[in-house]
Amino acid sequence: MYDRIQTEMSIYDKLNILSDAAKYDVACTSSGVDRKGDGSGMGNCSKAGICHSFSADGRCISLLKILFTNECIFDCKYCVNRSSNDVVRTSFTPEEVCTLTMEFYRRNYIEGLFLSSGVVKNPDYTMELLYATLYRLRNICNFRGYIHVKAIPGADQRLIRMTGYLADRMSVNIELPTAESLRQLAPHKTRKNILAPMRLVQEQRKENRYEVSVRKDGPRFVPAGQSTQMIIGATPETDFQILNVAESLYDRFELKRVFYSAFVPVNEEIALPAVRRDGPPLLREHRLYQADWLLRFYHFRASELLDEKNPNFNVFLDPKCCWALKHLEQFPVEVNRADYRMLLRVPGIGCKSASRIVKARRMGALDFQDLKRMGVVLKRALYFITCQGKMMFCTKLDEDYITRNLLNTKERLPEGADGMTYRQLSLFDDMSFGVKDAFETVSGKKAGI
Amino acid sequence: MKRIYVCHDTLTGIYSALHDAWVESRNGDAGIRFRGRIQQQLFCDYHIVEENEEKVIKIERLIKRHLGYNAYWAVYHALLSDEEQKAEAVFHTMQEARRIADSQKIMDHLGNESVAMVFELSRRVSNESHMYKEFIRFREIQNGVLVSEISPRTQVLTCIADHFADRFPLENWMIIDRTHHVTLLHKAKGPCRLLWDADPDSEALSKLSDEEEKYENLWKGFFDSVSIRERENPKLQQSHLPLRYRDMMPEFTGD
Repeated sequence: MYDRIQTEMSIYDKLNILSDAAKYDVACTSSGVDRKGDGSGMGNCSKAGICHSFSADGRCISLLKILFTNECIFDCKYCVNRSSNDVVRTSFTPEEVCTLTMEFYRRNYIEGLFLSSGVVKNPDYTMELLYATLYRLRNICNFRGYIHVKAIPGADQRLIRMTGYLADRMSVNIELPTAESLRQLAPHKTRKNILAPMRLVQEQRKENRYEVSVRKDGPRFVPAGQSTQMIIGATPETDFQILNVAESLYDRFELKRVFYSAFVPVNEEIALPAVRRDGPPLLREHRLYQADWLLRFYHFRASELLDEKNPNFNVFLDPKCCWALKHLEQFPVEVNRADYRMLLRVPGIGCKSASRIVKARRMGALDFQDLKRMGVVLKRALYFITCQGKMMFCTKLDEDYITRNLLNTKERLPEGADGMTYRQLSLFDDMSFGVKDAFETVSGKKAGI
Repeated sequence: MKRIYVCHDTLTGIYSALHDAWVESRNGDAGIRFRGRIQQQLFCDYHIVEENEEKVIKIERLIKRHLGYNAYWAVYHALLSDEEQKAEAVFHTMQEARRIADSQKIMDHLGNESVAMVFELSRRVSNESHMYKEFIRFREIQNGVLVSEISPRTQVLTCIADHFADRFPLENWMIIDRTHHVTLLHKAKGPCRLLWDADPDSEALSKLSDEEEKYENLWKGFFDSVSIRERENPKLQQSHLPLRYRDMMPEFTGD
């Protein structure tokens, strides 16, 4: 630790540099573990997680997200802290991290610590530093809040195992969806090196579940599970490939979450895409998250949402609406009879409202007003459901018609909802085209003539 | 003639009124209004409720036994809300529970208007108390006590007390509710106490400890540096963190 030439920096500067360097890590959740305070230390955890603030980019701040050090021997092309970049390097000491965490936690600024790190000297040495910090925080400061720590790929298994007993969540970033892109952009990392600690955590968790079932108060290994993240848009993979990778991570590694991070260019690099004029691909990231939710909570499979022919998500409609529009033969669904899984597939009905519907319909038949009170988004659902055999309005079960109405969110009610199914024709308006499109069609025709 | 019970807008008051209404007019219609906020109606008989703990215990036992704990907590939360009709909604929910086959499942009966209202109000209160679990900020004053001032719409203090008592068992802290003039006090290793109608000395509260400014500045610095400039989205930020919570948060106050 003390072999640096730089003079000592103030803790304010250090925090600025090391939180700035950590901000591209997406995971900032504090969920997945319920732990009461023990009356002698400080802190507890709640299952749902608690956000404590929201930064200017609208992302939640739940944990004190910092790097232990931004010194790094690796040279990943997309990373600010790669060894070939000339940036100010600094490190915390375990004591500094502990004081910051405890004092922030006391004032209810944060829910816990997110500790990541650049690789300094070698993976083992770095992992040891992380372990030392966590050990101090748990056993000397008696901190019982949430801790999310990164497992450093290539570090000794025993170190990862020992750290896992102190942390709530562990993560290893898979970085890029395919091994090929990883080879191109992160020459010092290999797929094998990343998956090895993931498998280790998975197996240790299985073993620990057995231990805890025998001895209830025994130490718990990574109780909130493990997560990972992928960079979206730096390499040419399609959404279909990405979603399949995510699905297999959930199936084969029992991950709690896969995070997607829209690529933000921080280095000028020939292997990376150029800076986009419209900013990072946020909409694409959003669609992937929506699909991710469908995989985890709505019993969808990746192959249902996308396929080889349509490998990317629709920009205008969310994945669930798209699926429903392609499977209109399964609709309309009778709300008072359909089973829970089918209700989940209706656009506008979520997990909570579906379970409320299933409970409430035991008491009596439901109508659209009741659905609205239960939190169903009728604006989307009304095309796909019936209540006691009736649709809400006189709507057609037609792909184009529904798409047009779903996109036209400004108009609350679908055409013809007030019982008027006819309208006065006019030369100047067109139901399906905007003014500009209509003009172009007309002028195009003229040119053709 | 419809009887209207008049009570204070406190849990003790409302539970006492519910008790009286239940004993006297559970088969008919009854209203419950709050003192000082009554609009006189024709053809009503106004009746001022005598409030005591005994009635509270009785009616709470009744709710727990016949409607179940799920409904008990929903009612408890609903009664802490800022809605004028809250007590009547609870009364009608209790009446509705007698009509259905399994009264324990009353909170699933969202087709009923009053039940839906109790459900919505309880969600409103628990949502707001969750917001305060997130956004409350403590400041350390000179004697090491952590202080927070809030102005919530509903009476959230009792809903967040357990959370913070469990979280900071060894700290002395207090949360001051400026809207309802209640203070929640916690003494290290002790239980929480509620203090009514006594606004603490604001001069003592404004003397911050020496370390306080340093950590506030560190937090502000962290808050700024953790945001990604290319992704900035103030609208999204505002929908997650409404403006009315911001005046108590150091990262949004000051320069």
